[in-house]
Amino acid sequence: MTTRRLLLALGLAALLAACGRPEPPSPAPAGRAAGPEPLRVLATSDLRDLEPLAAQIEAATGVPVKFRFGGTMESTQAVLEGRAEADAAWFANAKYLLSDAAGQSRVKLQEKIMLSPIAVGVSESDAARFGWDKPGTRLTWADLARHARDGRLQYALANPATSNQGFMSLLGVVAAAGGKGEALGAADVDRGAIADFLKGYRIVGDNSTYLAEQFTKQQGTRANAFINYESWLLSLNASGRLREKLHLIYPHEGVSTADYPLMLLNDARRADYLKVVEYLKGDAAQLWLARQTLRRPIKPELARQVEDLLPARGMQVELPFSPDRQLADGLIDAYLNEFRRPIASTFVLDTSGSMQGQRRGQLVEALHYVAGADASLTGRIARLTNREKLWFMTFSSNVSPPVLFEVPTGTRPAKGVLPQADTEAKQAALRRVRDAADALHMEGGTALFDAVYEGLTHMLAERKRNPGYQYSVVAFTDGKNTAGRRLDEFRVAYEQLPEDVRGIPVFMVLFGDASEAELKSLVELTGGRLFDARKTPLYQVFRDIRAFQ
Amino acid sequence: MKTPVRVAGTLVLLALFGTALYYALRSNEQTRAIAQEQAAIAQAQPLRGAVSVDVEPFFTDERVQKILARNRLPVQPVRVGSRDMAAKVGAADQPAFFMASGVVAANMVVDAARKAGRNATQSTPFHTPLVVASWEPVARILVANGIARPLSPKVYGLDMDKLTRVMLAKQRWRDLKASDAYAVSRSVLVSTTDIRRSNSAAMYLALTSSAINGDVVADRTQAQRLAAQLAELFKRQGFQENYVNGAFDDYLAIGMGKTPLAFVYEAQMLAQGLKGGLRPEMVLLYPQPTIVNKQVFVALDDRSRQLAALLSTDKELQQIALELGFRTGDAAAFAAVAQKAGLAVEPNVSQVIDPPGFDLMFEMIDIVSREMNQ
Repeated sequence: MTTRRLLLALGLAALLAACGRPEPPSPAPAGRAAGPEPLRVLATSDLRDLEPLAAQIEAATGVPVKFRFGGTMESTQAVLEGRAEADAAWFANAKYLLSDAAGQSRVKLQEKIMLSPIAVGVSESDAARFGWDKPGTRLTWADLARHARDGRLQYALANPATSNQGFMSLLGVVAAAGGKGEALGAADVDRGAIADFLKGYRIVGDNSTYLAEQFTKQQGTRANAFINYESWLLSLNASGRLREKLHLIYPHEGVSTADYPLMLLNDARRADYLKVVEYLKGDAAQLWLARQTLRRPIKPELARQVEDLLPARGMQVELPFSPDRQLADGLIDAYLNEFRRPIASTFVLDTSGSMQGQRRGQLVEALHYVAGADASLTGRIARLTNREKLWFMTFSSNVSPPVLFEVPTGTRPAKGVLPQADTEAKQAALRRVRDAADALHMEGGTALFDAVYEGLTHMLAERKRNPGYQYSVVAFTDGKNTAGRRLDEFRVAYEQLPEDVRGIPVFMVLFGDASEAELKSLVELTGGRLFDARKTPLYQVFRDIRAFQ
Repeated sequence: MKTPVRVAGTLVLLALFGTALYYALRSNEQTRAIAQEQAAIAQAQPLRGAVSVDVEPFFTDERVQKILARNRLPVQPVRVGSRDMAAKVGAADQPAFFMASGVVAANMVVDAARKAGRNATQSTPFHTPLVVASWEPVARILVANGIARPLSPKVYGLDMDKLTRVMLAKQRWRDLKASDAYAVSRSVLVSTTDIRRSNSAAMYLALTSSAINGDVVADRTQAQRLAAQLAELFKRQGFQENYVNGAFDDYLAIGMGKTPLAFVYEAQMLAQGLKGGLRPEMVLLYPQPTIVNKQVFVALDDRSRQLAALLSTDKELQQIALELGFRTGDAAAFAAVAQKAGLAVEPNVSQVIDPPGFDLMFEMIDIVSREMNQ
């Protein structure tokens, strides 16, 4: 028991340490050149804890496997468009992908490998306070939404627009409120229930690793619940890192079980794929998965062997998954443009002389992307959403005052949800952002820390006026700090800001020759993230940042 | 004294060498014969077969591969959806034989072969009835509501007419009498595979249509009307797995909470039982009447026809098919396998109907598919 806990704790620690994404493909180890081509597997980021499996698969089958990780929606989009650059895909849930003819045609074979139901982990003391820890308690998503509305349930959850856990949770709320006995349609969505549920949404992120890290820090202060796959919640409980353990709730008639299908995309690798599937469904791998990652074996005969590790499931009635694309797309669209806490952010833009040329071109292109018209799964996440406020704060040797852009509220259907086209007013707002990007002029030094500090105080002041927004600062820079405060001076000034400045993360986008170490300590201080635009196209960086907002 | 000894010694040595040489040569000859035989087996061109997912494990079984190799009929199986098989006739990668799940798909292949001017021969070495895999508490609710009746311990007969009417009336589980054990707000529905791709779902359409029609559908107008009416039984299931084992995988792995009723082949449950993967509360409901699904072998050349004959006669091959859960002609052997699997079965499935004719069936599938694509 102790050894296992320790292993789990170590595993989790390793996970928490390895949280950068997306990862650049690691170069093949020397000496591999003559060996067989690796089977490239595009996996959703919640499967990051399976990386050690690659070596085991190769040892058992002779097939080298190379994992690449991405968010559910961006990976789905990549497979749909045939640009996954992978021989196989391994998702927590492929129902969205496979509910579409284009998706089905990409998937040559599929096998479910393991199971993990989505659960709501509530801090044990609060679960006891609400009486949720009594055996036989039947809670539905509707109960959870009511508690969120009343401020009693404050949770961490992966972004519903980019992740399976987030999306299925919303669908659970929709199904419970609709009370229909079968698959839902777009017109069945009860908008009030979604709004109630989202009142409790406190810690936003796009992957389980980041969310686990943030929840561990903020359990008991900003959040008392974590909605995620059971495997992640059980691992967190076993890690000993939490202030108190989580009591797992499986919403009645609303459980969505991830079944992790491994899907063959490249028919030329069928033989290798089959070998890997056979290994993964074999006893050794299944038991490894159960013991090390706390996912449930797909075979009932093996499930019995790990009963001590995984709580008995009892009768969990599953949430029916609707194949209605209008519902899925409409729900994501409505989440982003209507239901979610609207985003207010200050873009701190480096306009120093060294930005002239290609870097300026990249920055302008990225800003165009954010204010553009890409309606794909990933594009609509990166785009400015209805009700959003954005300030440009340019800086070189000095910091300029912020310039506001605001996206108007959209129209909404009378009933349910429907994907909406942009209104003329929204198009005009987006045009203004693009025009401002075109007008950026690069000259002078780099007062980076002054600018970030100004951005933060600006967001603090705005939040005091309008607390209903999700605030953040996004800074873009290519150079070392050459003017104004140094990092240590920034740190001192930051400590003197009101305590609740910690709710405003600073995301840093690094390109050119900026000092990575300094920027890293800055994002750590503010609870943000560092994105390296030298390795990732800027538009992807924006897409990632928005998943954390 | 020395010389005779030396001569004798030399003679003994020569004799020993000679004997060794004799045996060495003889064994070489034998080895050569075996090698020739093996070379012949190895040189036997593998027969390429498009096989349904149901019989894929049969053809990939090592024992089967050995027997087939011994008979110089090695097989290279490729899993193909039964309804996609006809399209492979006349294609650049046309297989030598097909093993389709169900007569409907097999007839399609034969039809395509006829159009391509190929001589196709059908045979049916294995079969299995369609059943509803369920759970003891669920089955008891169905009994309490007159939808099922116990036949023997853990085996029930299912009244498809009543069940279909309950489903069409959109009754929920919690609306049924004595439904405390499964008092959920979900509608009573049987989980099937996706009818756009899979034979078992088509058989479900055949059974439900015949249930409310009172007889196998034989008239085109009737077929159209019934298909339109029954499309909701598929549509209302929501997302359906696009491969044959989807609903069954969920039944096994996730359980009653996801899949109270799954429309499957009896063979799937038996094979699972032989692996030790059944839970005690799992039970079988036999629709009365049901359809027996035939694994139809369609041979397009002479060697494939030899293979067809072998499948129908070779005892060892038949035993392996039994172990995969299929029924063969041998009822006693089947009963023994079921006992070994720990699965209670209905030994004599006597109430059996045929699916509607090929054209009607396809028209009905088309109507349901169109509804689902909307």
